[in-house]
Amino acid sequence: MDFNFQDPFTSIGELLRGLLLGWGLAPGLVSLILMLLGALVLAGFAMTLAGVFLTWLDRKLAARIQDRLGPNRVGPFGIFQPIADAIKLITKEDIIPEGAERAIFKLAPMLAVMSAVGIWAVVPFAPRLIGTDLNVGVLYIVAVGAIGTLSIMMGGMASNNKYAMLGAFRTVAQMVAYEIPMVIALLVPTMLAGTMGVGGIVEAQRGGWFIVLAPVATLLFFVSAMAEAGRAPFDLLEAESEIVAGYNVEYSGMKFGMFYVAEFLHGVTIAALTATLFLGGWLGPGAQQFPLLGLVYFAIKTAFVYLVISLIRFSMPRIRIDHLLAFNWKLLTPLALAAVIVTAIADKLAPALGWNRAVVHLTANILLAWATFEALRAYARGIRQRVEVQPAAVETGGAD
Amino acid sequence: MTLVQILFLLFGLVTLLASLMVVTSPKLVHAAFWLILALAGVAALFILLEATFLAVVQVVVYIGAIAILIIFAVMLTRRVMHDTGPQVNRSWWVALLVSLVLFGGLVLMLAQVPALAGTPAPLMVDQETLLEDLGRALVDADRYVLPFELASVLLMASMIGAIFVARPPSGSEERSGER
Amino acid sequence: MNAGDFSTILPLLLVTGWACVLLLVDLFIPRGRKAITAALSALGLLTAIALLLSQFGLEREAFKGMIVVDGFASFLQMVFLLSGLFGIALAYDYVRRQNIERGEYYTLLLFTVAGMMLMAQAGDLIVVFLALEMLSLPLYVLTGIARPRPDSEEAAMKYFLLGAFASGFVIYGVALIYGATASTRLSEIVAVVQAGQAIGGLLLAGMAFILVGLGFKVAAVPFHMWTPDVYQGAPTSVTAFMSVGAKAAGFAALLRVFLVAFPDVAPAWAVVAMWVSAFTMAWGNVAAIAQTNIKRMLAYSSIAHAGYILMALPAAADPAVASDAVGAVLFYLLAYAFTNFGAWAVVLALEKKDGQGLAIEDYAGLGARRPALALAMALFMLSLTGVPPTVGFVAKFYLFRTVLQADLVWLALVGVVTSLISAYYYMRVVVVMYMRQGEPEVRSEGWLNATVLLAGLATFIFGLLPAPLMGLAARAGLLTFLR
Repeated sequence: MDFNFQDPFTSIGELLRGLLLGWGLAPGLVSLILMLLGALVLAGFAMTLAGVFLTWLDRKLAARIQDRLGPNRVGPFGIFQPIADAIKLITKEDIIPEGAERAIFKLAPMLAVMSAVGIWAVVPFAPRLIGTDLNVGVLYIVAVGAIGTLSIMMGGMASNNKYAMLGAFRTVAQMVAYEIPMVIALLVPTMLAGTMGVGGIVEAQRGGWFIVLAPVATLLFFVSAMAEAGRAPFDLLEAESEIVAGYNVEYSGMKFGMFYVAEFLHGVTIAALTATLFLGGWLGPGAQQFPLLGLVYFAIKTAFVYLVISLIRFSMPRIRIDHLLAFNWKLLTPLALAAVIVTAIADKLAPALGWNRAVVHLTANILLAWATFEALRAYARGIRQRVEVQPAAVETGGAD
Repeated sequence: MTLVQILFLLFGLVTLLASLMVVTSPKLVHAAFWLILALAGVAALFILLEATFLAVVQVVVYIGAIAILIIFAVMLTRRVMHDTGPQVNRSWWVALLVSLVLFGGLVLMLAQVPALAGTPAPLMVDQETLLEDLGRALVDADRYVLPFELASVLLMASMIGAIFVARPPSGSEERSGER
Repeated sequence: MNAGDFSTILPLLLVTGWACVLLLVDLFIPRGRKAITAALSALGLLTAIALLLSQFGLEREAFKGMIVVDGFASFLQMVFLLSGLFGIALAYDYVRRQNIERGEYYTLLLFTVAGMMLMAQAGDLIVVFLALEMLSLPLYVLTGIARPRPDSEEAAMKYFLLGAFASGFVIYGVALIYGATASTRLSEIVAVVQAGQAIGGLLLAGMAFILVGLGFKVAAVPFHMWTPDVYQGAPTSVTAFMSVGAKAAGFAALLRVFLVAFPDVAPAWAVVAMWVSAFTMAWGNVAAIAQTNIKRMLAYSSIAHAGYILMALPAAADPAVASDAVGAVLFYLLAYAFTNFGAWAVVLALEKKDGQGLAIEDYAGLGARRPALALAMALFMLSLTGVPPTVGFVAKFYLFRTVLQADLVWLALVGVVTSLISAYYYMRVVVVMYMRQGEPEVRSEGWLNATVLLAGLATFIFGLLPAPLMGLAARAGLLTFLR
């Protein structure tokens, strides 16, 4: 079999399959082994990429913003710092606190990593390079994300520590709430593509990335997914100044490392999902012929979104908990519902009127955004008036 | 036995054992976690039935929302969390006996019915259009639009009820002042 | 799809929609003037009654058999709508007096009525389940509406937990039946069973589960444990509504499901229903003797009456008697509704704050103090016992006759003997009212008195002249099952 350099992944798969079959293994078993191997490579790839390169980049960026140098000792520009950190974490003593629920305590970090890595199973890295193209891919993403919430809950509960418990409470209030606008915002690309399969959604963006067709939904997804992952400015679950470190305060050694990795991977996952669902995924000039090029496009887009997340993280103060929930229930959720309705109407209107689909969608979204801004301004004006009329009442009653 | 059958037995056993633990474990939090395992087992069974959509919805709704909220509620009541009271009362054996007698009686009565041997025609399912078909069935007036809409009314009614029950009795201060 | 399908559920749609609208309207009605909400709810129910009357006699299937309109459904819907009206009339003054007046009381009541109406029309097991939930969930809340009174809360909790358990049985049974027959449509299930394509074990287990779940709803022994506690703890106006409406809805589902979907497996469920019925009659009546609280006594009485009505199910297993038996049940339900609402109205008139005035002893001297009210109560007690010339007697007579027609002599005997037993505790109330000295504190409230008057007149007049109502019920029974 000649090696096809245009599509190396399929070729490697075929090569391995031939090899294993040659050893006399059953075809079903061979498929299973290949799938496991693929999962291993994928997880390893994601881990290494995220763990080494992006952590380093993240810290460098943070350092620049905070006017310091950042890691610069281990390797060129300190690029091997994360590896040194990992070695440090592994060699640390692994403590299970007194009175902890041992089984749940140990299970929690595993589930955390599982939920972060599991999402990658449906993310298409390049044409034909996808773990499995589930026809309910979008829902699968939400489902696996829910397990992440569960792991934090378990970690906080099992630690037998008040601060861990408080952190877990905040997490659940936040995650369960922000899951709603996220799921609703995910409906928009689903409707535009006519499929819930992630591969299909990427294919459907050939005519135009969904960030153009649905900017409001993109923003909604981005914001609520950031909250879902507990990224600053939504990092109330581990607000150091208030509740020490949140749900993972009792964890040490590699268990803490796993939580750390999971959290980190979750951030990368959001970037990858935003890139896939709204920025066209691997789409780009020449990607169809050269899948490797698709992978590069995908990586660039993901890295870009990730850097935006980091930028926001290091430049925004933390939101107060009641503001956080009010923001979700009073703005994001209704807006997400409105976005779905607007998308549905625009999608039926465009072919009926014979207009350009993208233009109709974009106009509808701009109108929606404008209406939202007007509503917010009216709301702010109302608050301002109340403050001016009776400042004392607002101070005691608290702003809503 | 095929691989699918082995998996079915495995997941079925896990689900059953987890369900048993839900009702027998003395700590409420543990019961909640066992419940999650049971629900996950059901999701796995759905996957074996090739009902991916149902499996994913099972995880999203039951594990992602309901179970987590149950744990949340349990954790808010810290006293209950450490409640390790007995799971049965003194007359558990009476209940067991009565249940067994009733069960035996029912089986006996039902056994006298002429056998209804038969195999139903298998449902024709097209995997490709299954999800689409489900979506259409829910909005088709000749199929399930009525139950679908009624379910939404039902949910609204129960939501109002839940809010009504959970809301602190408004104006309770005024009334106690009257007395 | 066509518009005709929607016209069949018009009364139901009206009640549901009205409830939703009322929820919003209620927000603008100031606290303390919730009487407006009550009047509006009653108006909605009256409109639904008018709509229902306008299409009485309509007979067809809609939504591909998911909804059935026939005499059975229309008759029961009328019973439910009347129960709703009675429920509002009883609650009107009571909730204000007990300090539990809320606008949601009436909207939740409307939702319950909608669920019951849906139950009467259900032609599909999914709809049966939805209707069951739709009538139960608001009832759980209504039971606990006197929050934070502990007995009301306890009753709501008990009712909710056990009710959810029962619903679980029903839905599990539906799932098993779907597994056995690959359909949830009643008309399709019967076809599959007749063709011998159903999986026997699954079908029987499914039927058993549905019987258990619905048996809970109608409070049949051994699924009756919740009844006395819930009836006692719930606000009395809710109890009155629950004891009539929820029970009738449960029987509507039982008859519809078992007679339409499973006539070919009748031997299986008839035996079970027969024993359940006998046990229910026996235990309900015996346990009622020991009660000193009138609410608990009436609760056990309602269990006993569930047993009487359940006698019709094994009788209806005989195809020759089926429509007679259904007609008897319909008449019995209506008679029970009148009598029971009257009795509960009297209980409401004597109830004081914080659950006082509910002991049977508190009725001492009522005959001297309020002769009219005492006479009415005596009439209701006679009717519940089944003594002529009350409607209760006619209903029981009619029912026992069909049971005898089906050759279930011993079951009819159990019914007669337990009726004799029941005379003891019903008559005790009459004795206390007239023979004992006492100074009962009695309320005289317009709607309460009107309810007592109306119920008393109906109990008496239909006891003397049952023919028109009976004819209606018999026709309704005929229309349903002899297609």
